[in-house]
Amino acid sequence: MNPLAARSPVVPKKRGRYATLRRLALAGAFLLLLVNPLLNYHWGITFIQGWYQSLGIGELRLVSPLEGLESLLIARQVYVPTLIAMAIPLLVALLLGRVFCSWICPISFLAEMVEGIRRRIAGKTVLRDRLILTRRLLWLALIGELLLSLILGAPLFVFLSPPGLVGRELMMAIYFQRLAWEGVLVLAVLALELVTRRIYCRSFCPLGGLLALVGLSRRLVVDHQVNRCTGCGRCDRACPLGLKVSLGESRSAYCWNCGACIDHCDHGSLRFVWRGGRDR
Amino acid sequence: MRRRSFCKLLGSLAAGSLVHGVTETHAALFRSPVTTNRLRPPGAVAEEDFVGRCIRCGRCVESCPYRCITMLDIRQGVHAGTPLIAVEQIPCYLCMKCVKVCPTGTLRPVAQEDTRMGTAVINTFTCAAWAGVALCRTCYDVCPFKGRAIALHELLPKVVPEACTGCGLCTHACPVTMDNGLKAINIEPPTEGSRS
Repeated sequence: MNPLAARSPVVPKKRGRYATLRRLALAGAFLLLLVNPLLNYHWGITFIQGWYQSLGIGELRLVSPLEGLESLLIARQVYVPTLIAMAIPLLVALLLGRVFCSWICPISFLAEMVEGIRRRIAGKTVLRDRLILTRRLLWLALIGELLLSLILGAPLFVFLSPPGLVGRELMMAIYFQRLAWEGVLVLAVLALELVTRRIYCRSFCPLGGLLALVGLSRRLVVDHQVNRCTGCGRCDRACPLGLKVSLGESRSAYCWNCGACIDHCDHGSLRFVWRGGRDR
Repeated sequence: MRRRSFCKLLGSLAAGSLVHGVTETHAALFRSPVTTNRLRPPGAVAEEDFVGRCIRCGRCVESCPYRCITMLDIRQGVHAGTPLIAVEQIPCYLCMKCVKVCPTGTLRPVAQEDTRMGTAVINTFTCAAWAGVALCRTCYDVCPFKGRAIALHELLPKVVPEACTGCGLCTHACPVTMDNGLKAINIEPPTEGSRS
């Protein structure tokens, strides 16, 4: 028997608690993109408009921080309504980290669908990541994207962002019965999913980079209690971003608080904690 | 010697076509889609600032109750995702819903009569009234600022550029369509500095 078992009693299994919640949130967020243009176009219910580049809920406007930042930088003018519309997403990222990526982003939803299909075909519970790139590429993607946009004088992420494109393509399909060519980017991102889980989100998404940067000292983190850990490594294999949770990487900038590692821990050594201002 | 000059000619041709190709592609990537009868929604910032400011969120497209605002795609280069109105297909009815939802100030709130999406220009050679073919005054009848933006002078329609909003109702209604798709009254986009 595992000698550690006596010391850390096996917590009753609540497998997939966060996974279920997160899949519900992702599915709901995706369904909003699908149902909302239909409501807008066919029934004239316009209370909610837009997608995750800019969402209008009644009079409340939300603007994706990176798109807003690009617009403000290139226009070289402070436009207060844009700043106000960016405030809520930024506040969420400041407190909770990259939760948009793991709990709302439509690319995440589609990628999880692809991952599920891949799992079913392979008949495996753990998928191997074939191509591991350095995670620092994420910062390069953010800086490179902003620099290139400023040099060209035209924001690039606003019309080439895969999360935004999902919403735009769905809207175009419903409003104009046609699709835009740039939608192949979404297919490319999903095809990369067959090589490595979330490789786009891990290393190439400028929006993910910005949210990670804002969430550097986020309050919500996955806490790893070393004294309960048996070192089984299930959390490391479960992490869709390939973080070594058992080495404490869940507190790094890259973690997006999806909770997959918590679900896979049989010994209750991982949990979400709300850390105070000081104990970083 | 002859071979050398031939090689030189070949080289300069290749370099020339490469440069030409690059500049052409570059121009195609950045060329504005705004031309005659292809206009930005009301209250837009100057066209050279539009591409940088607009975040392609599509709120104006979704909010347009007449579906006159369409969305461009990647074939328009960096203008992909920006809104455009093809006035001869569906004109702008100046409902001013789009200017209220724009989150970036690319479209700014503007009064109906202060909108300057462009200016109507009558082609006096093809216009039925001016050519003396018929007593047509369709453009005058449909103009939302009838008598102010389009006035009748001796039964001939005349545009008053100072009052024309460029909404395109006249272009849409004009019964004369030429082979190139233009009408006898067309909307020319605003020149620099005259936009609102």
